[in-house]
Amino acid sequence: MPEASQQLFNYLIVGGLVFALGMIGFIARRNLIVMFLCAEMMLQGVSISLVGWGRYHDRLGGQMLVLFMIAVAACEAGIALALIVMLYQKSGKLDVAFWQGVREEGRAAFVDRNVPIEREQEDHWPRLTPAGIEPTLDEEAPLHRSRV
Amino acid sequence: MSGVEMSDGRLLLAEWGFGRAGGDSISNGLTLGLILLVTGLILAVPHSTRRARNAGGILVTAGIASILYALPRVGPWFEVLVFWGLALLTVGGSAAAISMRSPVYAAIWFAVSLLGTAGMLVQHHAQFVGVATMVVYAGAIVVTFLFVVMLAQPEGHELHDRLSWGRLAKAAAILAGGLLMALLVSACSAVLSGDIPRSGDGKDLLDDSSELARLGNELFSVHLLAVELAGTLLLVALVGAIALMIHGRERRATQEVPHA
Repeated sequence: MPEASQQLFNYLIVGGLVFALGMIGFIARRNLIVMFLCAEMMLQGVSISLVGWGRYHDRLGGQMLVLFMIAVAACEAGIALALIVMLYQKSGKLDVAFWQGVREEGRAAFVDRNVPIEREQEDHWPRLTPAGIEPTLDEEAPLHRSRV
Repeated sequence: MSGVEMSDGRLLLAEWGFGRAGGDSISNGLTLGLILLVTGLILAVPHSTRRARNAGGILVTAGIASILYALPRVGPWFEVLVFWGLALLTVGGSAAAISMRSPVYAAIWFAVSLLGTAGMLVQHHAQFVGVATMVVYAGAIVVTFLFVVMLAQPEGHELHDRLSWGRLAKAAAILAGGLLMALLVSACSAVLSGDIPRSGDGKDLLDDSSELARLGNELFSVHLLAVELAGTLLLVALVGAIALMIHGRERRATQEVPHA
């Protein structure tokens, strides 16, 4: 086995792993920003294998492609983040499930009714034993401090 | 130990360490690593409990380690060690980025993965591309990500980060990804035979002391049109992003008028 093809093999494997991990993240995650980050991760995997091929052939074409890919990725990031911020302003969430009813006009909406709901026991907050005197609560306080 | 015949899976470790000439040990290590990686990801990617995520992290690390250990070692041991470290950063950072619940942590782990990628590019004598990756990706894009996350979701993870699409959908996605990994790995194994002709003149990119100059020459002669197009594309994207924001805001304003 020649050394150059072994080196190419190593880089292709690493690039393929990063690409597949990005795909998994894109499918499995629900946060718009994380999904978009995973798309960038897939581009990253492709760029690793492109540079690997360029090294194998001793040509600069692979590096050129990666440079242009970085330019396209920057454009994509700008547009997509503008879209995400706009969607966030409309919905107040970064949840892609909120937008699952988006469709072409005149078509029936596909709405996934099996979006999971959080159960109580899955929340892992530490349980502290109560101590001291219970303070008297201002009744109006929960109204304007919803997170307390 | 080197003479041990590899007849079953239990002797794999002995085979990897010493009898490294055959392709069998490589494929066995890769298979084991992929299985560990997929299992670990199923445990680590949300939604899952804290204990499962810790166990998943250990399994993912073990899987990446066994994949790297199975890969053929090229060059002196120092280069091999550097490659292992960079590949661990790259793949491990990516795996952590998709398993973190908080989008801030995901973005930071993606930056770690980018560090590893840039290192790998530099190791491949693509210095300029490596530095450009660092500056453009880690310096600009990830920071913009963090900016949007801080703008939209400053409290860390929310319900949709913790739950994702549920356990079944997650397992299906990761199995599909694992299948893709296996397909890519088996497709790449054709490379190892060395049958693919090299089109270059055999001159090492490193030996040319003016590598950066050659890159610039090629960029602004052969790919001049593409450079101009990329510049135009960047400008169009800039205008488009601004137009999107302004248009979205205008529509909201007109919608609010009748209610007022």
